[in-house]
Amino acid sequence: MLQTKGLSFSYNSSYIFTFPDILLEQGEDLLILGDSGVGKTTLIQILSGLLSPKSGVIELNGTRFQDLSSKSLDQFRGSNIGIVFQKSHFVRNLNMLDNLLLSLYLSKKPQDKQRVIHLLQEIGMSDKLNSFPEELSDGEQQRAAIATALIKKPDLILADEPTASLDDNNCQKTITLLKEQVSSTNAKLIVITHDQRLKDQFNKSIVL
Amino acid sequence: MNINRLSWINIIRNPFNSILSLLLMAFGIGIISLLILLNKSIEEKLYSNLNGIDMVIGAKGSPLQLILSSIYHIDNPTGNILLEEVNKITSNPMIELTIPLSLGDSYKGFRIVGTNHEYPKLYKVNLATGKFWDQAMEVVIGSNVVEACQLKIGSTFYSSHGFVEGGPIHNKYAFKVVGILDKSNTIIDQLILTNSESISKVHNHKDHSNHSHEIVEEECSVKNSVMITAMLVKFRSLVGLINFPRQVNETTNLQAVVPAFEINKLISLLGLGSQSINMIAFFIIVVSGLSIFISLYNSLKRRRYELALMRVHGATRFQLVRLVFQEGMIISILGLFVGILFSRIVLHIVSFFIVHNYKPYSIQLSLIKEELWMFPIVLFVGFTASLIPIIQAYRINIPKTLSNV
Repeated sequence: MLQTKGLSFSYNSSYIFTFPDILLEQGEDLLILGDSGVGKTTLIQILSGLLSPKSGVIELNGTRFQDLSSKSLDQFRGSNIGIVFQKSHFVRNLNMLDNLLLSLYLSKKPQDKQRVIHLLQEIGMSDKLNSFPEELSDGEQQRAAIATALIKKPDLILADEPTASLDDNNCQKTITLLKEQVSSTNAKLIVITHDQRLKDQFNKSIVL
Repeated sequence: MNINRLSWINIIRNPFNSILSLLLMAFGIGIISLLILLNKSIEEKLYSNLNGIDMVIGAKGSPLQLILSSIYHIDNPTGNILLEEVNKITSNPMIELTIPLSLGDSYKGFRIVGTNHEYPKLYKVNLATGKFWDQAMEVVIGSNVVEACQLKIGSTFYSSHGFVEGGPIHNKYAFKVVGILDKSNTIIDQLILTNSESISKVHNHKDHSNHSHEIVEEECSVKNSVMITAMLVKFRSLVGLINFPRQVNETTNLQAVVPAFEINKLISLLGLGSQSINMIAFFIIVVSGLSIFISLYNSLKRRRYELALMRVHGATRFQLVRLVFQEGMIISILGLFVGILFSRIVLHIVSFFIVHNYKPYSIQLSLIKEELWMFPIVLFVGFTASLIPIIQAYRINIPKTLSNV
């Protein structure tokens, strides 16, 4: 279960972001819609523990973020939270197989090569196993980024504008992929976006 | 996949920068290592050929020249001296052993030395085959001479005047090989030994018009008196070293030189030259450190997002520090080993081309003690070069980096 209460954040004293409370059960998904400048990325970074909120509490499966040291928060995030960024990035010197294995290594999960191959098959990229990130198209990069977030079977998946730069076709593919993977691992999914195309795809939604 | 492997992959996937840094490091280390090896080999060779020779008596002239010509057989002799006169000095209870040397001729660049049987004994060189000479014109040859001149027992040859190949040939009397010496890794390996009479015999029976060389002239001007080139002296106790040479130098027209002193002088002179080359090599190492720094710094600038991403995946700060640190260190340490290897290869190639006198006898492939201090220096340079990139990796601001793309 993910629960937040009274989250707020400010980069400077003149403006304070306040965020609505979130309650998300296992296997649920949530769409957070908002225009540019309302703090969408800030919220993702707070929810992933990369930024500490000015006030408020975040609790994931009984672990309160502020109770963890910065080192254990890093590790907690590594093993429990998968993040899909608006613009996908990889370790450029590694091929897709090694990128996914690195993600497993850093989150201290067993480096199961078969699982990597299987996941790449599921997202239709089994032929890109030995390709380097720069050799992939935009749509492929986005799917591969989802794969690096999903490979470690995180409990919570946060996606920041995953479809913003994609055409309708790729947008649909990406969202379907995300939702399928989430339901197959029984994880929680939060997608934050301004992309109105996604409005009808989620049961729960919040507008910032 | 782990941090070690990622460091390697980053180095390999960035070959131009990596190779540049590595070669610079290898070059600096190689030069220093080469100098250390050469210095050591020269020193070893100089000292090992002393073999208990405490003093050398010869004609007046440069002391260093006397030492070089009579002990190392490198330079030309200072001149000839009367054996009679030397014997007056050396009939002294302080002196344990004297060995006369007569020089002047060579065969295919190898010097012919007229001496007695004590000379090879001084270097503890034994016969491999054959016997020592009993009469004039019989020679015993060193092991390098055998290889280079294709001589065997029973072979005969004519000597040529002077020490370089192509001098006028003394073709009246032929030398005959009666013995071959064991390989000893001393100067004896390069010599052709015979008795003193052989040298005078070759030189005295000459029509005087042809040769105007010093040795011949002197040989003829003092009839019936035996001339030698130098006398090696060994004292019974080192007390003799203190006064004896000065006495000879002040009271006779001979020169007495203590080789140990001259060699110390020579080595300190050589040291000055190698010091300045050392400085250049150090400079190259520093430049290599700079190159490692620039290449790490640039690649880190390009990879900031990558490092932040790794942190998001659960990497600790320490893992990122290790990644960057290892990349700098791997290149430094590889450069060190390539440099050491490089110095060995160069030395081998050099020694292959030097057949005669200056051949470094002991080329060590293993590390020598004097080279060990290069390790801390390389580690220090590698560490310093990685320091700023390490700090950057440690302090990377994840949210800021991630949102600034």
